[in-house]
Amino acid sequence: MKLFEYQAKEIFKSSGIAIPRGILIAENEEFSDINLPCVIKSQVMQGGRGKAGLIQFADNASEAREKIAALRSGPAKVKKILIEEKLNIKQEIYLAVTIDPVDCSALIMASSEGGMDIEELAKTMPEKIIREKVAAFRDLEPYQLRNVMFALGLKGEAFKQGCKVLMQMFTAFRKHDAELVEINPLVITDDEKVIAADGKFIIDDNAAFRQQSYPLSQDQFDSDIEFEAAQQGIPYLQFDGDIGLMCAGAGLTNAIYDLVNYFGGTVANYLEFGGPNYRRAVEAMEFTLRNKPKVILIVTFGTIARADVMAQGIADAVKKLKPEIPIVTAIRGTGEEEAAKILAEIGLDNLGDTEEAVKQAIAFAKGEK
Amino acid sequence: MSIFIEKDTKVLIQGITGSEGSFWTEHILGIGTNVVAGVTPGKEGQKVEGVNVYNTVRKAVAETQADASVLFVPPRFAKDAVFEALDAGIRKVVVIAEGIPVHDAMQMRRAALTEGAMVVGGNTSGVITPGVAMMGIFPYWIERVYKQGNIGIMTRSGSLTNEVTAMVIKAGFGVSSLMGIGGDSVPCTRFAEFLPLYENDPETKAVVVIGELGGTMEEEVAEAMEAGIFTKPLVSFIGGRTAPEGKKMGHAGAIVTGGKGTVAGKVKALEKSGALVADRPSVTGKLLKELING
Repeated sequence: MKLFEYQAKEIFKSSGIAIPRGILIAENEEFSDINLPCVIKSQVMQGGRGKAGLIQFADNASEAREKIAALRSGPAKVKKILIEEKLNIKQEIYLAVTIDPVDCSALIMASSEGGMDIEELAKTMPEKIIREKVAAFRDLEPYQLRNVMFALGLKGEAFKQGCKVLMQMFTAFRKHDAELVEINPLVITDDEKVIAADGKFIIDDNAAFRQQSYPLSQDQFDSDIEFEAAQQGIPYLQFDGDIGLMCAGAGLTNAIYDLVNYFGGTVANYLEFGGPNYRRAVEAMEFTLRNKPKVILIVTFGTIARADVMAQGIADAVKKLKPEIPIVTAIRGTGEEEAAKILAEIGLDNLGDTEEAVKQAIAFAKGEK
Repeated sequence: MSIFIEKDTKVLIQGITGSEGSFWTEHILGIGTNVVAGVTPGKEGQKVEGVNVYNTVRKAVAETQADASVLFVPPRFAKDAVFEALDAGIRKVVVIAEGIPVHDAMQMRRAALTEGAMVVGGNTSGVITPGVAMMGIFPYWIERVYKQGNIGIMTRSGSLTNEVTAMVIKAGFGVSSLMGIGGDSVPCTRFAEFLPLYENDPETKAVVVIGELGGTMEEEVAEAMEAGIFTKPLVSFIGGRTAPEGKKMGHAGAIVTGGKGTVAGKVKALEKSGALVADRPSVTGKLLKELING
């Protein structure tokens, strides 16, 4: 779960990391009292907010009101807005804690080129990224804080505060089951204060059971259907092609997506109804039909996700939803003979070969069949 | 001979009385696996498919000398169950659960590395040597997938394994040992770490790696080949070739790997090291033939 900036900053604050003074205003709310000059920050998930004009500056209250109104009526559908004091910036730093799966370590990354896109920096100036690792079962030790802060070139009070912030970030990283904690930029002010001007926080979904829960927000998804499918726990991605995919297993669905492209077709949606969802063919087909595909392509090769159970689900879905478009099936694995019988009863010829199924679906989509 | 599980490996099943555990115990026994005990806390004295159930791994190991364990426990208890197995002296563990917290997985992998154990998974179908034994959830009775032979298979995806392996069998081959390393971002054992076992296994003539976009595991296979750690023929299929960027992959993954992680990068690295990469599952068998027959 990727948090909004204001949620990340709530965690920073409770971890002892300084954040700018500010207020969060909700969708229809006006501000009463703000520190001027101010920064007006749209609380949306998309990256590159600055370039997209979703971060604005204002010197007085009327200017702030105008800019807030413009953001709210703009194309980004901005709801919550964070209004913060404008900082007197002496230096900007990049600081992040993430996961190194090879070493099973927390990986600290830092750069004196704060404010810059770190992916860009990794491509153009990888030598400017300072790295420090903390293995599982180990703590972040003071020498490691010194390694990072000396390499950043910090001195005096900023050095001391920088060490403290990094330690607090690391503690929050472990405590909140984070996949990423990022402050970009971490600002050093004219008066040597160290303040998190921005914040990114990604919490591992698999640890949701032991972490504070955050409600899913529409803003985290590219489309309404993706949002609704996520609320139902069905992996779904929306595209603008012809073929609606209903497959089982992430790996196989990816491969089918590739094959459709390989043979010259286009994908209307990616939907995966394997694993815990293999008894939910009806809901899966409902979602698949939402983006108006020209054909539905169902490919599975399951073990636990039994072929006969999935075939029965598809038969139920066809009876209930009465789709007016062709359906191509290649349902294999445990119980595949029974699956073929069930599908034959509703007039579907269950194919044994994946490529044949993909080619047939493309032919339907192009009206060649 | 096989690379992880033998006919006489004494297998323990943790979480044996649960619905998945008991369902798969029948099939794990069915293929011929030497299952010696099961563990579910509070269920000692019960039997599942004739297998004795114990409260603790410690006691199960003391009474049966179990030396490998397959876990059917929910993801939130996986770390506890892995450490219970390691602390009882077991050095081969397979973790089936999908949805293990990544910080738990990091501790599991770190413990395995430092204690000289091999933990496979999580989020995997497990490990199988067709015709011999399995620790996992494979429909071994489907002969067009699970036929005995001389090709080692390593995979990150359960569903794709059946698809690709069927193509290997169709080309006239069979499987020596299949290792499902799992689909999580922190698998406890990585592709390249199994290569020395395949290298030393006389039953394995070549290896098929079923990879996916993201991470660096396929690149590590290429590095192992370049370093001469693995010298047998290797064919790979990698899913996610046309996956749109940013839809699935996180921001952090790209930076950690310094540009590695795209399928294009993986293909390039593997081909440079002498492997052949199939652009779709159906050509995997053909490429294997080419490579093996020269």
